[in-house]
Amino acid sequence: MNLPGPIHDFLLVFLGLGLILGGLGVVLLTNPIFSAFSLGLVLVCISLFYILSNSHFVAAAQLLIYVGAINVLILFAVMFMNGSEYYKDFNLWTVGNGLTSLICTSLFVLLITIISNTTWYGIIWTTRANQIIEQDLVSNGQQIGIHLSTDFFLPFEFISIILLVALIGAIATARQ
Amino acid sequence: MMLEYVLGLSAYLFSIGIYGLITSRNMVRALMCLELILNAVNLNFVTFSDFFDSRQLKGNILSIFVISIAAAEAAIGPAIVSSIYRNRKSIRINQLNLLNK
Repeated sequence: MNLPGPIHDFLLVFLGLGLILGGLGVVLLTNPIFSAFSLGLVLVCISLFYILSNSHFVAAAQLLIYVGAINVLILFAVMFMNGSEYYKDFNLWTVGNGLTSLICTSLFVLLITIISNTTWYGIIWTTRANQIIEQDLVSNGQQIGIHLSTDFFLPFEFISIILLVALIGAIATARQ
Repeated sequence: MMLEYVLGLSAYLFSIGIYGLITSRNMVRALMCLELILNAVNLNFVTFSDFFDSRQLKGNILSIFVISIAAAEAAIGPAIVSSIYRNRKSIRINQLNLLNK
């Protein structure tokens, strides 16, 4: 997306802030309804990140499938199975939680160290040199369509079969 | 600069998703944290596809596949949770022992 520099940076910081707070809200809020709504906030922020990185088709698919279908389905699941048992373990901080937070923090620090120690721009320049001869006459959506109907045709059909089987299995599991 | 920033955000989402998946006592919240992990993977795919492969865009296609697998998982997961809730009247995650009887 060709935005001027300060607006781009402001959008990056704003979306990152929404993503961090939403991720914390999914895990730490005690009411599952609120955590489902903050999951929706995280999904919308990720979709706007996709728009910022020039992937408009994936952004639209994310907004339609995740926010429109999956998040609504999770909200329905929360509302169907709402009980009074959520507030029993209100502030239950056990040893397992501390151990898991330690492990996840060390995983995060490890990933950040690896990311900041890798020289990404060398990789970018070596890959850009190969792509300079190719033409970009087609847009992103056309490129995705061409790939889905030529290279990735067999996985595309398998995905459709998997979706059909999953929907039939969900109906057969959920009915009385 | 933007690449490291987005990769750091994706690492944050991944680790907080694993934390919630391990420590949550509610099955629906565990499903939400699974969606967070899949979204972290998708964010990595799309960012790498934009930076390193902006002509071929194969990362976008892989992220579309991940999104459709997540849709199938989100159809199956609440169905299993609702069938457990019908039998046990509870969705605590330590009640998942219906198969060992």
